Amino acid sequence: MTESAVIETNDLSKSYGGVRAVCGLNLSVPPSCITAFLGLNGAGKSTTVKMLLGMIEPSSGEGRVLGSPIGDPAQSVALRRRVAYVSENKRLYDYMTVEQIIRFTRSFYPDWRAEVERDFLHAYELPPDRKIKKLSKGMRTKLALLLAFARRPELLILDEPSEGLDPVGIEQLLESLVSRCAEGTSIFFSSHQIPEVERIADHICMLDKGRLVIDAAMDDLRQSYRQIDLVFPSVPDEREFRMAGVESIRTKGHQMRVFASRNAETVMERARSFYPSSVEVSPVGLRDIFLETIKEN
Amino acid sequence: MLWYKAWLETRPRFLICLIGITALCSFAVYHGDHQALSYTGADYYRYVLLSGHAMLCESWVLAVTLLMMGGLLREKVAGASSFTLALPVSRRRLMAVRIGVGLLQAFALAIVPWSVMFFIGSVAGKTHSITQAAFCLALLLGGGLLFFALALLISSLVEGEYTAPVVSFGIVIAIAVLFSDRALRVYSPLAFITGFAYLDRHTWLLTGPVPWLHLATYLLLAAALTAVSVKVIEWRQF
Repeated sequence: MTESAVIETNDLSKSYGGVRAVCGLNLSVPPSCITAFLGLNGAGKSTTVKMLLGMIEPSSGEGRVLGSPIGDPAQSVALRRRVAYVSENKRLYDYMTVEQIIRFTRSFYPDWRAEVERDFLHAYELPPDRKIKKLSKGMRTKLALLLAFARRPELLILDEPSEGLDPVGIEQLLESLVSRCAEGTSIFFSSHQIPEVERIADHICMLDKGRLVIDAAMDDLRQSYRQIDLVFPSVPDEREFRMAGVESIRTKGHQMRVFASRNAETVMERARSFYPSSVEVSPVGLRDIFLETIKEN
Repeated sequence: MLWYKAWLETRPRFLICLIGITALCSFAVYHGDHQALSYTGADYYRYVLLSGHAMLCESWVLAVTLLMMGGLLREKVAGASSFTLALPVSRRRLMAVRIGVGLLQAFALAIVPWSVMFFIGSVAGKTHSITQAAFCLALLLGGGLLFFALALLISSLVEGEYTAPVVSFGIVIAIAVLFSDRALRVYSPLAFITGFAYLDRHTWLLTGPVPWLHLATYLLLAAALTAVSVKVIEWRQF
């Protein structure tokens, strides 16, 4: 695979009537790494994924997945051989048994990995002769993951893959994602489980109200985001701290909390000019970055 | 394997319809003698076979309408359309397979009950003309495909697991009522498939040449509706 982005969008937008679900999205997902796609419910994540897979037509803009334009139905079929997708609801055909749907899906992919199928069936204890309509939500999720992982896709797109899984299942899933990524598969997944994302993601894309608000490497986020707690004998005006990289400022009594996405050093220098009695700089976790970013937007 | 999927999806409905229609028509042929004899002087076996055919036509239209409920729109309601649309298969091919399986089932739903009726008639010493049976089948399958295509179109337009069948059955009933008027009966697809327009009331046989023009018109209409259904699914957003 080339080093160009596996998913690229240029001003991609989707409106439903008067409601803009996705607005001018410029996404660039790097290859051979795990990219998390974060956002609140209704932020536009699933709509974006459906546009990428050709299930819905963008209102404007364009996109490319593995180099193929997303709006071209002829290329879309070829593209779907190279991309595995697990949808948000993990619904499969209720009238099939586990064995039947595996046989059905396998027929579309000549490079199907029988050993992965066996391992997943064993690890997830999926009963081959049980009808899908009789499976629990967790079992259905496991089956959907089996059907995606037993292939050899270049790109795995997963919408809330851990939803419905028990802690053991989640652990198995995270291990599988990391090992697939190590084999060279690019992974793009949406999740509300921030601790899971923080553990495995190399790159973060965050969507809010259809707009991309963060697109950065996880390491860069860890290094650049800082929470600066200041205590002043006399609190300066918040406007003194409004500068590039400052995402939010909160003042309470003599205390001020500055949340910075970059330029923490500059903020501290400015703070020192007001003679603070205490300056405390701490790294910020992904959960706080998510909450602060969403709140600010 | 798409054929396998389409077969598994419709198998219960198809088998229930096939067994039900065959049993109903066979019963009419085997046990209808006494009723037929009591008020008609015609060759009763012909009467019975034609009654069987009329019953088959009505049940066939309902069964085909029921069978064609399904596909991507129904999967969308059930939540499985994302899985189907992520497969490396075009929507046109998905539709082609669905139509193909539907056609095979529709043909089986006409041919199997007719064959059983023919067999039962023969066993009971009421041998029927094979050309008459072929005439009946040609009318049913030629004209009936209009109902097949209509059901396919509605299942491609109307969302909702129960809404689509309700609308489809509603339209079939509306057609039956609308064309029941004597002036319009000549255009009625239901009257066409039952063959009553071609029935000689003295001999109780279908007479005249096969109405190729009518058949071709119904087949063209069915083809047009099918083409529209495929386009609708290709354009539709999921």
